Amino acid sequence: MNRFDLLNKIQNILKDNLVICNIGLPSQELYKINDQPNFFYMLGSMGLSSSIGLGLSLSQNKNVVSIDGDGSVLMNMNTLATIGNRAPSNYTLLIIDNGSYGSTGDQRTFTDENTSLKDVAIGAGCKNVVECSGDETVNELSKAINDQNNSYVIISKINSGNVKIDPIPLNPITIRDRFRKFMGIVKYL
Amino acid sequence: MKISKKIIDNLKKGGVDFYLSVPCKLLANMIDILEKDNDVYYSAVPREEEGMGICAGAYLGNKFPCIMMQNTGIGNSVNAIVSLLQLYQMPVVFLISYRGTPGEPVGAQGGMAKITEDILQTLRIPMLHCSSENDLEKISTFSKHAKVVESPVAILCDFNLMKDDK
Repeated sequence: MNRFDLLNKIQNILKDNLVICNIGLPSQELYKINDQPNFFYMLGSMGLSSSIGLGLSLSQNKNVVSIDGDGSVLMNMNTLATIGNRAPSNYTLLIIDNGSYGSTGDQRTFTDENTSLKDVAIGAGCKNVVECSGDETVNELSKAINDQNNSYVIISKINSGNVKIDPIPLNPITIRDRFRKFMGIVKYL
Repeated sequence: MKISKKIIDNLKKGGVDFYLSVPCKLLANMIDILEKDNDVYYSAVPREEEGMGICAGAYLGNKFPCIMMQNTGIGNSVNAIVSLLQLYQMPVVFLISYRGTPGEPVGAQGGMAKITEDILQTLRIPMLHCSSENDLEKISTFSKHAKVVESPVAILCDFNLMKDDK
């Protein structure tokens, strides 16, 4: 299973939740599979999906899922310490760990060598850290979202590989405003 | 404490209700005040760039965020400022302890001090430079300005203004 297959499998679970999606192919693939106003696509700032989702979950009560990647978490690894100390129960971090920098040509990341993000997350103080296969991710993610009392970090181990895809045609303000309209904040659209 | 209290009061008057910090000794009193304040959210974060991401999320969730940091933090955050906060036009207040300005005892802080305003200018970030107590009155209006223009703004607090705020 690659990232496109996994995103296809979890799209129904994401429907009613606020989703922050990582820059590059993850966002482009999610957009292509089933674009929704409650998906915030990152167009820059690699590494910050987990952080944006954390800020959002601290600011309001709806469930938040940050979709991140192994390369991105490696770039902003302090985020796991902040999550381990501050994540509220409406927060789920889904790390799609394919052991490669998919958007830049599938160069190997350190999770394909010696680094375990599960061990790092546990060491950083994160609770409910789950490492699972792509097939198991659907159940684990549903469980995490439906648990109103705990935050989760799910590390989904899948294969590398990408589908051919175009950049997202939406401009950033459109992404921002329709997302905030879904939340009931923006009234003018 | 008087200066720090005035800064926080004016930020709150400007609508800021979500605070992060990467600590600085010049920010210590403000952190103390915020930790005891139940009306607003406050947390430390390990790195400024990460804080920019958390602020972006807080803005999406309808908070008005502020990140407190040394001017060195701007150097750590340039890409997040440009390709997140400015790209999506998100108002965030940067409350910056301006290390390396006159009065600073640590020579090594001078390097970032020399280029801090140049970086902010290059990024087209509106600046409020506070060097005396009177300047602090401008903080509430300046914070509101961030929301009006949907942009991050920077408040620079000189070393000498903060150093005796016991």
